[in-house]
Amino acid sequence: MAKTLSLYVERNTFIHRVDSINKILYVLVSVAIPLILPYKFVAVLLILISISFLLLAKVMRRVIPLIEFSVIILLSIVIIQGLFHAGNKTVAFHIARITFYKEGLSYAFTLSMRVINILLAFAILVLTTKPSELIEALVKKGLSPRFGYVLSSALQIIPQMMSAVGSIMDAQRSRGLETEGNLAVRIRAFFPLIGPVVMGSLIETRERAMALEVRAFNSREKKTFLNERQNLRSDNVIRLILFSILSLSIVLRVLL
Amino acid sequence: MNIIEVKNLRFSYRNGEEILKGIDLTFNSKSTAIIGQNGAGKTTFVKLLKGLLKPTEGDIFIKGKNTTEVTVAKLAKEVGMVFQNPNDQIFKSKVIDEVMFGPLNIGQGMEEAKGNSLKALELMELSDKVDENPYDLSLSERKLITIASILAMDTDIVILDEPTISQDYFGKIKIKNIVKELAARGKLLITITHDMDFVAEISERVIVLNKGEVILDGSAEEVFLRDDILKSAYLEQPNITQLCKRLGYDRTFLALEEFVDYRLAGN
Amino acid sequence: MKKVVVENLKYRYPLSENLALKGISFEVEGGEFIGIIGRNLAGKSTLCQALVGLVPHFYKGAYSGNVEISGMNVLENNISELSKKIGIVFQNPFTQITAAKLTVYEEIAFGLENMGIEIKEMIRRIEYVLHLLDLEKYKDRNPFELSGGQMQRLAIASIIAMKPEIIVLDEPTSQLDPQGSEEVFKAIQSLSREGITIMMVEQKIEKIAQYADRVMLMSDGEVVDFDVPQKIFLRDDLLNYGVQAPVFTRVCRSLNIKNKNTGLYPVTLNEAYELMVRHEHNRS
Repeated sequence: MAKTLSLYVERNTFIHRVDSINKILYVLVSVAIPLILPYKFVAVLLILISISFLLLAKVMRRVIPLIEFSVIILLSIVIIQGLFHAGNKTVAFHIARITFYKEGLSYAFTLSMRVINILLAFAILVLTTKPSELIEALVKKGLSPRFGYVLSSALQIIPQMMSAVGSIMDAQRSRGLETEGNLAVRIRAFFPLIGPVVMGSLIETRERAMALEVRAFNSREKKTFLNERQNLRSDNVIRLILFSILSLSIVLRVLL
Repeated sequence: MNIIEVKNLRFSYRNGEEILKGIDLTFNSKSTAIIGQNGAGKTTFVKLLKGLLKPTEGDIFIKGKNTTEVTVAKLAKEVGMVFQNPNDQIFKSKVIDEVMFGPLNIGQGMEEAKGNSLKALELMELSDKVDENPYDLSLSERKLITIASILAMDTDIVILDEPTISQDYFGKIKIKNIVKELAARGKLLITITHDMDFVAEISERVIVLNKGEVILDGSAEEVFLRDDILKSAYLEQPNITQLCKRLGYDRTFLALEEFVDYRLAGN
Repeated sequence: MKKVVVENLKYRYPLSENLALKGISFEVEGGEFIGIIGRNLAGKSTLCQALVGLVPHFYKGAYSGNVEISGMNVLENNISELSKKIGIVFQNPFTQITAAKLTVYEEIAFGLENMGIEIKEMIRRIEYVLHLLDLEKYKDRNPFELSGGQMQRLAIASIIAMKPEIIVLDEPTSQLDPQGSEEVFKAIQSLSREGITIMMVEQKIEKIAQYADRVMLMSDGEVVDFDVPQKIFLRDDLLNYGVQAPVFTRVCRSLNIKNKNTGLYPVTLNEAYELMVRHEHNRS
């Protein structure tokens, strides 16, 4: 398992440099707009925008497996809805003697576009943002530092715990615990692992809690941050753009 | 028959870096210490002896059986190993149950397992803690419990990985008692440790590993004489040996009594 | 000013019947290097925890007596406040890494961020401790990729960056190999030279004899003796307390080689060597 749980791809592009909070806002706006303006072309437009951001960030290649996977699932939805959707009346086309209906296909299409839209927006967030930076940005904005710590440390501690399981397995196998064989044997082998894994985690967590205490973690002072990110003008501009687009769509919705 | 035969052993993890670079060793029943800095390959080597890892090249024979042909659990009948962190193995809520786990797994009957476990706990001077929860005891006591749980398995080969860490003077005496007991039973004891004074006191044979190779192998006297080679492996001589070298003696002394007697004899 | 003042400290862990500390009193001057020895469960770790406030603030339990760290009363201040004056390094290098940071540099910054230190000062302190503890070449590494000795040096660096006047170390080298141990002892020695007060629990008695100005012998929750190493290791009841004098002392004792002026036996290799050579000389 990787040393830290993260999908972040190291690159030096404009998208990478955008403030994490703005990327979160982008995801929220991308999800909201197709709901506010439920026109097919809106979702498609947003998908194209996200794709262009992904290309700019040079991470498009990482997204392709994800898209391939979702397309397979979505295709099955399209087929099922095309054939069996409740409001199916108008025939779209035939394949052999199987009939596909417009309403179902249309519904499935809209749904698919929304799903892909969300996935791509999230992909931008996840692939171009260091988790530690994201969490720190949230803490700066008011997220409890304790919670922020739990999130950031989990990313490294979970892989560590996984390798600890390996050591514990070794220790028990060394005492004659059979782990190779049929399913029953392997299931029984699971039980001597639980105790040490849980106890090990508890003990480590406690020791780490003490280490945090003596590093002034519960100090009442206002925390400072080594990585002081200047509030770039571009950050504010981007935020302004996002809010404007959101407001515009709400206005359009009301008018139309 | 040699108890353990290691022939041209090479080992690399999947990521490619070669950890052990051609090891040839045979073990009979002398108390043996394996020393070397972290990363030299000591832990990897004993894991290979236990069958937890399989050789990339070469063979290991435990009492004639090739380690690649037997499961780890079956090998546990011949080779017992005490791991460094007792918390990695303790899972029963009573000390006696914990110690009996290994013996029962390798085929001892209930009576036999209980008998062996109680004897082992007596050796550790933990007879009064038999029904307690291991986690209510101190770390050093838990370490002794894990040693007892391997002793109770009565394997012909016992491997101890850093037994003296977190032990005080009294704990070390208990461990020296185990060494004597195992020698009396004719068992092969292999100890990995950083405590050179301890090595000098209990080992008949010392193997020095450095960067995956055996760079010294001999009696404790022979090995601790070579302070130049030890230094290249980031190791030191035992304290008494260092003093004697400084004073200009050209033989090595491993024990205080040995040196004192020699001096008092007019040397 | 006395850096550490302990008056009749008594403490019992929750769910425990016995007192872990049974009325401890002592004082430590600034810049001293104190070694703490004694068998397991003598109360050494509990004492360390009481000096930094983990006892009683983290562990709770029953507490009485007075502990003053650079004038700050432990009972009246929380652990974070106390961490400005006193720091602690534990046995296990691994659990002292916060795991929330991805580089050694940021790891050291963690405590400073919590203290609200401004950035320029933060950077100054981090660079200083990286240099002091010889960690400069690892500053961009992930803390989990370091060796045991390097990790412990990182733990020490992270504490020292907070500029405590006193640092407590509870068997900091017990899980390290000889090279790692040596690195840590060297680091601690540099701290001592900088004037930081050191209180260290150690089983490696020869090291304690080498570095400590005074040695505290503990047993069963009490301080049995607190004196210079030569006086402590002169005692002939050490084994009762689960402590063996340094081998150099024992050799000279067996050969009846002592310092004629003080009547004390040597405690380090160099002292033993000097005395034995002189003895040799006199013999011939």
